[in-house]
Amino acid sequence: MINSGTIRLEHPRLDADALGPFRFGRIAGKVLLTHDTGEWHFLSEEDFQALLAGQLTIGHPEQPALVAKGFLREGMDAEAVAERFRRKKRWLGMGPHLHVVITTLRCNQACKYCHASRTDMDRVDTDMSLETARKVVDAALQSPSPYIAFEYQGGEPTVNFDVIRFMVQYSREKNRYENKTVEHSLVTNMTTMTEEIGEWLLANDVLLCTSLDGPKHVHDWNRPHTGSTSGTYDQVMHWIQWFNRRYVEMGRDPNLWHVDALMTTTRKSVENWKEIIDLYVSLGIRNIYLRPLNPFGFITKTWKQVGNDMPEFMAFYEEALDYIIELNRQGVQIIEGNAAIFLKKMLTPDDPNFVDIRSPIGAGTGQIAYNYDGRIFPSDEGRMIDAMGNPMFELGRLGELSIGDAIRHPTVRSMAVASLLDSLPQCSECWNAPYCGVRPLHNYMQGKDLFGQRPNTPKCKQHMGIARLLFERLAADSDGSLDRIFQRWTIQRPRETAPGPATND
Amino acid sequence: MSDSSPETEGALVDEIRWVEDGTRVALTLDESIYPMDAIYGAAYLFVDRCYVFLSREGDRMVEVRLKPKGESSSAALQALAGELANELLNQVLRVRIGDSTRKIREYYMARAFFSTSTQSSIDQLLAELDQEELAEDELEIQVPWETGGAGGG
Repeated sequence: MINSGTIRLEHPRLDADALGPFRFGRIAGKVLLTHDTGEWHFLSEEDFQALLAGQLTIGHPEQPALVAKGFLREGMDAEAVAERFRRKKRWLGMGPHLHVVITTLRCNQACKYCHASRTDMDRVDTDMSLETARKVVDAALQSPSPYIAFEYQGGEPTVNFDVIRFMVQYSREKNRYENKTVEHSLVTNMTTMTEEIGEWLLANDVLLCTSLDGPKHVHDWNRPHTGSTSGTYDQVMHWIQWFNRRYVEMGRDPNLWHVDALMTTTRKSVENWKEIIDLYVSLGIRNIYLRPLNPFGFITKTWKQVGNDMPEFMAFYEEALDYIIELNRQGVQIIEGNAAIFLKKMLTPDDPNFVDIRSPIGAGTGQIAYNYDGRIFPSDEGRMIDAMGNPMFELGRLGELSIGDAIRHPTVRSMAVASLLDSLPQCSECWNAPYCGVRPLHNYMQGKDLFGQRPNTPKCKQHMGIARLLFERLAADSDGSLDRIFQRWTIQRPRETAPGPATND
Repeated sequence: MSDSSPETEGALVDEIRWVEDGTRVALTLDESIYPMDAIYGAAYLFVDRCYVFLSREGDRMVEVRLKPKGESSSAALQALAGELANELLNQVLRVRIGDSTRKIREYYMARAFFSTSTQSSIDQLLAELDQEELAEDELEIQVPWETGGAGGG
């Protein structure tokens, strides 16, 4: 049967020449305006219609804020807008600051979602050599970025600890001539940690991050040992507590110096979200980063067993976020990592330069990944795709390709074009564009297309979902109490090294 | 097809015709009211739920047909038509505001990225290095790595 009819549409009156550039969306019964500079403003529907019609003029209570934020043309200070925009994008042209180093692919765990494509412990051929490690340092310090962060990953990176020790020492020596700020961080499962290694890491200010997926029954289910059903929870807990105790004994501020932890959200995690947060709080961890599964590595084979789709993840995320906010209202100092990234963009004049949530993406221009064999990738995700048998994102080899060549590589340019929100369908007009970032390699893994179709990409649902949740809560924040909490989440205090020996060989 | 008439000063009232057959719904749009960019933008938002077809129905007339990927019903199709119509309103605004403010955006972006105060950090670093006397280099760690002079470990 065929039905037909008409829809009556009343177009709003529009005096476009009275307006500044903005994007808009409807959130929490209000109209949200956002600006390239990250400024935003809520209007009632009635005031929005007045704005469009050019009737929101001097004398209207919203007018001064709308002028100051660049939403109204009359009185707009274009130079100030340019300065704010420059500050937001100041990382453009700085070059890669994050240098991911795969010291080995060997690992003694068989995590159900392993993104890294680990190998067995006897595969010493997947260890990075000292010669390659030296080339990594030489290359990384060629980056124009004044800040260099070496991030050691694997496999389990401590299995090849000599390389880490060498890179920390050699980069320190080399940096005497470069005068950059150089940091080292180790992402470890803690299973091969010893007190000797631990003391060396502490003495050399190597930051520590481990995987902690939640209480024992969750963590051990997600992260068993190779060839066993036993997990690593007890070891992780032991070493978190050992390091945190040692930081205090060294006189370090535990708010700044402590083991950070990452969790990956499987089906098991979703069922136990409150226990996971309580565990992090009990360990004094100040930042819980609720991460969905990524479509790389072994997870592509185990998704049916452990995976969850994005609507399920976002339902979990909303419950967890509200619980974390409630804990903050009770005086507990814990933040959610994704929210903190978005809030820094929304509530401060700066951008955290988080390489995966920026426009364009940081692959190759903010981040470089070095495989154990000396091959260079624009990001660890590109390296992960290579480990799955597809070398498409390899940029070249250490010793043959300079960092400048890497930044200008056609593959890096392609990824930049595919993640420049101003040129992407839907993103270019989306209210979330000033805060968002797309992941071309996620798109590639899902549809063999760097660009993807935005409504079909889980990352779009995740990023827009998170930003919407935050704006909904800010819209309902009548007494400013949530704003004060969120402002605290955007503050990053610098770590200061306590006096003492620089090395402990 | 669309019937439009000016109502109040500057405002426009339009009637969009829809047709559905239980499996798909089609709306016919007047391009003089709904620019192609607005039609593309609105239709694109449905690609996760529907197969989207666009066809030229006549001079400046475009048909947008939505065929849901899953089960459907007349009520659901009529709701989709309403949703698309609402989104068309938003997209027309976005296109018109974007057109009107394009030069302002281009101006502040040019000022942000190309004015003298944005001299790249690379240039600054190079200038600093030129002025700097490097200390003794017994380990030869200043040798550019790509020349292969810093090998060995």
